[in-house]
Amino acid sequence: MRRRTIHALALVTLLAGSVLGSSLALAEGGVLTIGRREDGTTFDPIKTAQNVDFWVFMNVHDVLVRVDRTGKELVPGLAESWEMSPDGLTYTFKMRDAKFSDGSPITAEDAAFSILRIRDSEESLWSDSYQVVKTAEAKDDRTLVVTLNAPSAPFLASLAMPGVSVLSKAAIEADEIDFGEMPVASGAFKVKEWIRGDKVVLERNPEFWEADKVKLDGVEWISVPDDNTRMLKVQAGELDAAIFVPFSSVAELEKNPDLTVHKDPSTREDHLLLNHEHPALAKKEVRQALDFAIDKQAIVDTVTFGVGEVANSYIPRGALYHNEDNLQRPYDPEKAKQLLAEAGESDLTLNYLVEAGAQTWEQTAVLIQEQLAKAGVTVNLQKVDPSTAWDIEVAGEYDLAENYWTNDVIDPDQKTTFVLGHDTNMNYMTRYNNPKVKELVDQARVEMDPAKREALYKEIQVIAKDDVHWIDLYYSPFVNVSRKSIENFYQNPLGRFFLEDTVKN
Amino acid sequence: MHRFRFVLWRPLQLLPVLFGISVITFVLIRSIPGDPARLLLGTRATPTALAKIRAQYGLDEPLWTQYLYFLQNLSQGEMGRSIVFKIGVLDLMANRILPTVLLVVGSVILSLLITVPLASLAARNRGRTVDHAIRLVSTAGLGLPAFWLGIMLIILLSVNLGLFPVAGFGDTWLDRLHHMVLPCLTVALALSAVLTRNLRASMIAEMASDQATAARARGLPERVIFRRHVLPNSLVPTINLLAVNIGWLIGGSVVVETVFSLPGLGQLLVRGIFARDYMVVQAIAMAFAVATVLINFLADVLTVAIDPRIRL
Repeated sequence: MRRRTIHALALVTLLAGSVLGSSLALAEGGVLTIGRREDGTTFDPIKTAQNVDFWVFMNVHDVLVRVDRTGKELVPGLAESWEMSPDGLTYTFKMRDAKFSDGSPITAEDAAFSILRIRDSEESLWSDSYQVVKTAEAKDDRTLVVTLNAPSAPFLASLAMPGVSVLSKAAIEADEIDFGEMPVASGAFKVKEWIRGDKVVLERNPEFWEADKVKLDGVEWISVPDDNTRMLKVQAGELDAAIFVPFSSVAELEKNPDLTVHKDPSTREDHLLLNHEHPALAKKEVRQALDFAIDKQAIVDTVTFGVGEVANSYIPRGALYHNEDNLQRPYDPEKAKQLLAEAGESDLTLNYLVEAGAQTWEQTAVLIQEQLAKAGVTVNLQKVDPSTAWDIEVAGEYDLAENYWTNDVIDPDQKTTFVLGHDTNMNYMTRYNNPKVKELVDQARVEMDPAKREALYKEIQVIAKDDVHWIDLYYSPFVNVSRKSIENFYQNPLGRFFLEDTVKN
Repeated sequence: MHRFRFVLWRPLQLLPVLFGISVITFVLIRSIPGDPARLLLGTRATPTALAKIRAQYGLDEPLWTQYLYFLQNLSQGEMGRSIVFKIGVLDLMANRILPTVLLVVGSVILSLLITVPLASLAARNRGRTVDHAIRLVSTAGLGLPAFWLGIMLIILLSVNLGLFPVAGFGDTWLDRLHHMVLPCLTVALALSAVLTRNLRASMIAEMASDQATAARARGLPERVIFRRHVLPNSLVPTINLLAVNIGWLIGGSVVVETVFSLPGLGQLLVRGIFARDYMVVQAIAMAFAVATVLINFLADVLTVAIDPRIRL
């Protein structure tokens, strides 16, 4: 009964609003409830590398430089503007006039503190990524000066990473442990309550510098670990939205007139790692043969129910400098057989490491096993739990293994370095080694001209594809679902939900 | 010797049991392959970052040193700090204990409410259609996995009929009770399947016992015999069976909590195991073990209280 009254009221308000055509804002607000698989672990951004945390505090902590909706451009955040010195070693940021949720001003001092903390803190999981920073100082309350040890094209993009959010120096120095539970916020929402294992309750932060843009009164992130239960809760109207929709549920949810299924472009790429130290896999022709022998479209159709798309490069389609014209080897088992015969590897047996429990990966493994069999390659599946799989991959005791990557930053340097130009993790466990590529990667990192950088990255993608450093399988979007009453529920390719734009009707 | 005397000395036996449990849980979780630091940092972790985390949590020390730290912590009532959640394990558990306790207690109550009438009905109509039906249903109940039964109950009673919330824990006490009905029912249906068969069998045995025959000879109505003699006596084995099943019940909470997204200890345990969050797993395993031992002790007390002939 009460509900009906409220609906009627809303209708009257709506009519009144449209009749008057006035500038009076409609009675907006409401609390958006979002179901997800797991609860978060901390609100201290330097102490986590997990999406469960990042995706929530991207709306609690603000950053100096933000990534826009498309995931391809940097836009001002808490820094209004910035300038780079001609030698590329000094960045000067002009800070916006903004306040933390406790009412204190956000100063250049806080920003400098946050950058140095992620570089130096004992508890920081990200210190390696910020070693390029030499100094970070507040010239005055609104001017931040950062100097680097070497010029770095991706540096600016790295400031958009949630780990280096601008935090209140005073609050952290007062009680660092408490900050991880109940942080002082600089973003659109602040933490009202956190019931561990159950939900995080956020409320609108009135001190946020774009507070007049925020429509919701609050957001609740509720953990519902079971996929079926989470979908049922949205269907029953107990949740406004849910994330991590299993591919297998998409078709059914799309039939429901009360729901909208979102497939927002992501930077996720699933790929097949190849161990280049294996005597046969060390031969480029053998790796190319395997690429010919795998029917990626069949994997997309079966495993992702057609939601994903075939990948043609390690830089995903939604990301900066993706090479659309990169080579896409067609499915051709005969050609594969021929290449294998020429390489003297007609009787090849490979060990495929599969992470147990990851349903899509288990399905892919079985498909690839069948497909390679058609090219005369015997594949043995070895199922282990995720942690063990990583240990085996690091130790190099595998031949094939599926893995995935999502970007944390807009700049391709991070992934490229890890995957093609790095030495400490053996190029993402593949042991791929091409000195020419490594040289290009180093060159691209310091190239400040975007057009020249793009050309370098396109070249790197072409060589990597020719070398088959790994086999690109498919790109998949973020699949989320929301009720029809929710508008502007959107996740950008780097995983940020633009909840400041979301409306609950 | 007073028949309740064991209440005093029995708890002392707990100490060696606890010590044993601490060793076993400590060794077991560490013997699963996998590295908490790597799971925390992901596949992109550099060797230095990994080493830092290992040092921070003492994972680079020899096992026996780690165990001594664990014992030292334990003696001070501490359980260490969670690697994943960065806070004290006891704080973490304190927040999660209520749903699990409600689930276990609620399931036991509900299963007794199902078991006693059904078993009585079956026993008093032995060999008739009712009896066969009840036995058939309880056999079927044994075979239904909790995750399936849970989802079916949600679809039927929550999504289609709208009687109960789909999942979650609720905010007020009344709201919580409403949320707990389906999860408790899921566990209770499986549990009462075991208990009903057992209770029915002991009721039938008691109905043929000397005291029941004697009561019948004194002309007491069957209804009175059943309530005064048969029921109390046949409850003893059922209570013991229930106590034995407490371990299963607590273990089962892991699945049920996941299906109904109850923020309880079971869910925390699963996450702890996947992340190799040693401190969390140890602490919860200890807590579950202590609860199991205590409940069995309680069952003994109850048994002695119901049946004065039993001495422990």
